[in-house]
Amino acid sequence: MKKVFIILFVLSLTILSFSKTLTIWAMGEEAKKLNIIADDFIKENPNIEVKIQAIPWGSAHDKLITGIAGNTNPDLAQMGTTWMAEFGSMGVFENLEKDLKNSATVSKDIFFEGPFETTIVDNKIYGLPWYVDTRVLFYRTDLLKSVGYENGPENWEELYDAAKKLSEKGKYGLTMQTMEYQEIMPFIWQNNADILDEKGNITVTTPEFIEAIDFYSKFFKEKIAPLSLSGTLFQEFANGTVPMYFSGPWMINMTKEQTPEIKDKFNVKVVPSKKHGTSFVGGSNLVMFKNSKNKDIAWKFMEFVSRPEVQLKWYKEVGSLPSVKETWEDNYLKNNSMMSTFGKQLEKSKAPVNRPEWAQIEDALERRVQEACYGTKTPEEAAKDLKKDLEKILR
Amino acid sequence: MRTRTSTKSIIMFLGPAIILLMIFLILPMITSFFISLTNFNTFALADWSKAKFIGFENFIDLFEDELFWKSLFNTFYALIIAMPLTIILALFFAVLINREQTYFKNFFKVGFYLPFVTNTVAIAIVWKWILNPEYGLLNWFLGLFGINGPNWIGDPNWAMPSIIMLVVWKALGYNIIIFYAGLQNIPEFLYEAAELDGASRWQQFLKITVPMLRPTTYFVSVMVLIGYLQLFEEPYMLTNGGPLDSTLSVVLYLYRQGFKFFNLGYASSIAVILFLIIFILTILQTKLKKTEY
Repeated sequence: MKKVFIILFVLSLTILSFSKTLTIWAMGEEAKKLNIIADDFIKENPNIEVKIQAIPWGSAHDKLITGIAGNTNPDLAQMGTTWMAEFGSMGVFENLEKDLKNSATVSKDIFFEGPFETTIVDNKIYGLPWYVDTRVLFYRTDLLKSVGYENGPENWEELYDAAKKLSEKGKYGLTMQTMEYQEIMPFIWQNNADILDEKGNITVTTPEFIEAIDFYSKFFKEKIAPLSLSGTLFQEFANGTVPMYFSGPWMINMTKEQTPEIKDKFNVKVVPSKKHGTSFVGGSNLVMFKNSKNKDIAWKFMEFVSRPEVQLKWYKEVGSLPSVKETWEDNYLKNNSMMSTFGKQLEKSKAPVNRPEWAQIEDALERRVQEACYGTKTPEEAAKDLKKDLEKILR
Repeated sequence: MRTRTSTKSIIMFLGPAIILLMIFLILPMITSFFISLTNFNTFALADWSKAKFIGFENFIDLFEDELFWKSLFNTFYALIIAMPLTIILALFFAVLINREQTYFKNFFKVGFYLPFVTNTVAIAIVWKWILNPEYGLLNWFLGLFGINGPNWIGDPNWAMPSIIMLVVWKALGYNIIIFYAGLQNIPEFLYEAAELDGASRWQQFLKITVPMLRPTTYFVSVMVLIGYLQLFEEPYMLTNGGPLDSTLSVVLYLYRQGFKFFNLGYASSIAVILFLIIFILTILQTKLKKTEY
């Protein structure tokens, strides 16, 4: 009898202590560390529980699709910026326009422009930038000094000149990937070209676009850049085989750990400019699902992770770059010269076109650029073929 | 002597296997044929009603798709080189292992069989290093003879040969064991009789071993043909279809269309075509086998 009472008592307690549960799906390293942020959030909101489900990057795309198809999606999810259009156009995300209007702390203006643009699909705001990633130029200060560019190349001419001189002295001048749109697109944007214009017309056969492809492929055709790296990037950078490359913030600490011998011999610089110095911006947004039953607390969580102090804590934990501008005013980032370069680059960064067909556009672009790099097609031919591919993809 | 109980027990024993086959093999095959007649893509995943029936449009598109032709060419290129190579080498090593004078038979059997059971991901990583143009074992070895080795997986002309090397090496073990079992089944007295008649070793091999191994060879060649037409893991791991799509196989292209772009209708049409190719070639092989007897 006593037992029954206890059970009833416990049951009634659980019903009374009515708490809401917020479910979040996150990927990779973020998923492992997100509970740190979630714990702080729970401290502020004791009646909310947060359930984080980790999904590996490799199967994230499939899992999201099946989640959407089977209505088993969470309240919030981490979403790679290049997936926004594909999932956004399915119409499963909540439009956050109203929430942004009514929010005291979060507005469009607190974020960098490039990252915020990735949240907009079909003129609707489908998420908030959570963290960002951009590419800058990594260079060996000592080697660049030997060809007269101690502070690194400023523009295209200097980049080519420095790389050519370095390849004559050593083995290569720089390394770039023939199949990586994150490295190809900045060159295209820097020349005021793009894959599509505002109206969605294909603009890959403009002289500016072809000039960018020509410039990019020239490095490979003249053997200034290797078509494929032999060893690991760290080793080749340390032994001077490749004195320059473009990459993201994670490379700073990894270089210092993997090759401590060059710890003071390298630096980062905003990308060399042509008409301007635009770089690629990627990263992840947080999105809310339309069918979520906890939209109020989901929005609360979104506001929470957009606070500068939370963004900074997140950067310290994971090393991914804050998307909120104010965070960069903090001395912790300001006094770190390499990191502040990334902050500068974010002011001039752009995301690829937000189209549901992006995965295919990317694939076609990379294939055609690679053909130009290997010299099996001229830049004009590659651009013409790319136009044909895109017409087929976007019909 | 059929009784009721025996029918029941037959159903009991075979039932689970047949049901599983139906659910996980036959049904998906039929489904994918139907999907290949629709434009099933990402949008249809969230809402099935968005998939439209488009008849044979996917197949017409496929016919004009240069990448599909390229992947087909690559797959057949691999098949035509790798298939005879696998059969001849497997038979060669099986005969060597089968000889009476061979020591450490089991050691060799295990050694050849290991690649077949090793994880492809691990193999690909190790081979990436073996094939590395500057630090690789293979080019170091060639360098000993003064040969300047190529950039194996970075050069469009050498990438496919590298893949072929890998798949043959991986497939050898299994086929050696099959041939070895076949050799064990050849009665010893045939060789003894031939020896009495003064047949040389080579003649014995050609006149006894090869004909007696015909059923084994048939089995091996059908299996190898089906396996190589479905070439996927090695190019996926080693080169991801590159450079310049020189190692893009049909299944890798199917995977890209299906699970990267989610054009499931289009990917299914590739699957249907591949199924037909394998089906026709296997039937041809069976016909060839029959005419030989």
